[in-house]
Amino acid sequence: MTDRYERQRALAQIGEEGQRRLAKKQVAVIGAGGLGSPVLTYLAQAGVGTLRLVEFDTVGITNLNRQFLYTEKDVGRKKSAAAREKLALLNSEILVEVRDAELTKENAEELIGDADVVVSCLDCISARLIVDEVCIRKKIPVVEGGVSGFFGFVLCVGGDGPCLECLGYDAAMDQKEIPVLGAVAGVIGSLQAAECLKILLGAGEPLYGRLLQYDGISGTFDEIEVKKNEACRLHRRAEAGKEK
Amino acid sequence: MNGNREKGMGDMVEVRLFATFREGRGKVCYLDAAKLVKASDVLEVLRIPQEEVAIYLINGRHSSMEDRVLDGDVLAVFPPVGGG
Repeated sequence: MTDRYERQRALAQIGEEGQRRLAKKQVAVIGAGGLGSPVLTYLAQAGVGTLRLVEFDTVGITNLNRQFLYTEKDVGRKKSAAAREKLALLNSEILVEVRDAELTKENAEELIGDADVVVSCLDCISARLIVDEVCIRKKIPVVEGGVSGFFGFVLCVGGDGPCLECLGYDAAMDQKEIPVLGAVAGVIGSLQAAECLKILLGAGEPLYGRLLQYDGISGTFDEIEVKKNEACRLHRRAEAGKEK
Repeated sequence: MNGNREKGMGDMVEVRLFATFREGRGKVCYLDAAKLVKASDVLEVLRIPQEEVAIYLINGRHSSMEDRVLDGDVLAVFPPVGGG
């Protein structure tokens, strides 16, 4: 059969069964900006059956150096509506659900829903920590990614691995207007999409407990083994409310 | 996490730096463990303000500024990288 998935179905890690598996999966992508653009694009093109997109913002002209889901014509529009349109053009066989809402402690659980994987594409650390906590409680793997300037990281959160708070991240570290090179957001978002697909397929070695760090200035990647912090308050809260 | 190892003369601590902390310092610095007591001493030597540090790991685990640094330890120091 010749179809859009031919080139990836040929992979030993996917095949007919893997492609069917992807079609049955649901991924929540929190944030449809610089990271969300490549993540949503590649997950849609790979044939993930349901993409839930959580984004409250509107498209601004300063988004267009990196957020390739949008065009100049979208400036002033809701990102959720513009992204849904673009993704539907890319792949009409999948379902794209949009939640036009800002993720908070109060609504995070409902927004994440029953996702098989959550991809965190947020631009603030405080919301990332909320996502990690809800997902550890609900036993949903999270693919974290972050960028700043020429630098970025990817880490999968779940199982016995550490979360961002285990590593020392704190809500007080939130910064405004973080400078980002579009191509670097593209690198990190693409890696997040690949990690998400690996988890959905049960293939390869997702980055649990391994912080992958990208340095676009020197053109190098580093992998740092990272461990859970037994005193992590986020983990303690999440474990206390864990679903059986 | 530092075990019970005793501090040895002339032994080194490896400090791996990331993102903007590499500017003017390089990717890896080796410091004389005998001249260091706690995690904050390393930042002082490298002239990295504590408030700019998001992640400070000793042998892969989160560390406080008061944690002891021993010879053979591998440290990793990161600024916040939280943009999306």
